[in-house]
Amino acid sequence: MDLLKKSLINAINNILRNKLINFLCLGIISFTLLTLGIFNYISYNLEIFTQNFSKNVEAIFYLKNDVKEKEIKAQISKIKESLLIDEIIYKSRDEAETNFLAQFPELRYILSEFDKSPFPSSIEIKFKQKESNLTTKIISFIEDIEKSDIIESKQVNIDWAKKVLYIKKFISITGIFLSGILFFVSIFIIYNVIKLNILYRKEEIDILQFVGATDWYIKFPFIIEGALMGLLGGLIAGFLLIISIKLIPSYSDFISNMLKEIISFKKIPLKILIRLLFFGTIIGLISSLFSLKKFFKN
Amino acid sequence: MIGFYHVYKQYIKDSYAIYDINLSIESGEFYFLTGASGAGKTTLLKLIYKEELPTKGQILIDSVNINLIPRKKLYRLRRKIGIVFQDFKLLNNRTVYENIAIPLVVRGYRKSYIDKMVKNSLSLVGLNHRKNYITSHISGGEQQRVAIARAIAGNPKIIIADEPTGNLDTELSIEILKIFEKINNNGVTVLIATHDNNLIKMFTKKTIELKQGNLVSYPSMEEQQWIY
Ligand SMILES: Nc1ncnc2c1ncn2[C@@H]1O[C@H](COP(=O)(O)OP(=O)(O)OP(=O)(O)O)[C@@H](O)[C@H]1O
Ligand SMILES: [Mg+2]
Repeated sequence: MDLLKKSLINAINNILRNKLINFLCLGIISFTLLTLGIFNYISYNLEIFTQNFSKNVEAIFYLKNDVKEKEIKAQISKIKESLLIDEIIYKSRDEAETNFLAQFPELRYILSEFDKSPFPSSIEIKFKQKESNLTTKIISFIEDIEKSDIIESKQVNIDWAKKVLYIKKFISITGIFLSGILFFVSIFIIYNVIKLNILYRKEEIDILQFVGATDWYIKFPFIIEGALMGLLGGLIAGFLLIISIKLIPSYSDFISNMLKEIISFKKIPLKILIRLLFFGTIIGLISSLFSLKKFFKN
Repeated sequence: MIGFYHVYKQYIKDSYAIYDINLSIESGEFYFLTGASGAGKTTLLKLIYKEELPTKGQILIDSVNINLIPRKKLYRLRRKIGIVFQDFKLLNNRTVYENIAIPLVVRGYRKSYIDKMVKNSLSLVGLNHRKNYITSHISGGEQQRVAIARAIAGNPKIIIADEPTGNLDTELSIEILKIFEKINNNGVTVLIATHDNNLIKMFTKKTIELKQGNLVSYPSMEEQQWIY
């Protein structure tokens, strides 16, 4: 505990001592994490957007003509197992005809030409309206059912959601890719800065080793320093993210209404902020551990 | 306490800084290590606290073969040995107190205990009145004594000093050596490298003499022949 306190004080002193280089460091960490944060925030909003529109999703599957009743029953009970389902309605070919006639009695003459109902039997599914029923899940569920042999075609209008999800995926991948590169860049830079700090204090480290300090005793302050720097970077990035999201709506002239509809510009979920702090600390820890490893090898 | 068994040290090919050294220093003894410049005195000391590794041979410190000590446990050896460096290796922007406290802080002792130990060390070298001075603000002779105080602060079994009187006048040198005698009287094994023959004559201690890495004179060589 004493060592932790002392290391913290030491770390803060060191960060303040080499102001320029350490602020540069903080800058690059914050930039990395801000990028990560922005992409995270956009993906998050797109997901919420698709979620809201996934309510009242209905899907109708039209079955092939020669399907046996046993197969239909099997398919229905399989669908019923899913937690996503609110209601499932099976309509046989005759029921479809009856329905049709109820709606359009004047067209009865058309049907008289057929000796059997011309309408396909169908399975109609209503999905539960729950937060956890993500559009992605519903889409993959529907695609699963569609693969079945007995399904002729489907009627479901969530193609737009699919498109949004594609965009979201694209943005996520771009975000991960960009943040990944920046992640390594910041590790590389902090690694070198901490290596400099170690060299700067080489004399002191030598003395500590000669008088019998354990390796951990010597390493600990540098690890704390790295972690602290990362954490600070995370805080700054989070702060910048909040500020920009609060400020952007006041320049709303520049933003299309469509964009405003998708992105709420209100609150940032805590999980994104926590993620920034977490990744910041990780960046700091990894860099300091690497530079220490290098130093203590020889 | 200190044992060398056929120890060789080569920094560069075909040139030995230490050549086939055998010696044994018992606990509580006081030794001078002498020889011309480049004879290998500093190298021999560095081998003792494992700053350098022998090219060949075994070194025993306090019954431990130090060749076998892994990096992670090196601190245990270092805690047995107090080292006084030729260039002092003090932290010049810290106070005298802080410098002497380092070996104790590193061992995780309580503040009150550290205070007590630092005070003891300061009295031993006669520097109580300089306790809160910044180290760069005191004289060379005083810095030398701070270095000794730091070496003794952690209560080591062995004190090693490399030219501790190197740049001091005779009067001060005698004073410094008297401090080492006091330390030795408390049961600490002392080994001092020096090329100052006047001092060696004055203090009549056992002396190890090196010449181009070879042991040329060693007081109890005859008696201890059986060891090898
Ligand atoms: N790091 C090193 N690399 C190469 N050669 C070295 C190294 N250190 C010492 N030597 C050589 O080893 C020999 C012994 O050096 P050492 O420093 O032990 O002598 P010394 O007796 O302490 O001399 P002095 O009285 O001048 O301090 C010298 O020839 C020196 O040049
Ligand atoms: Mg020397």
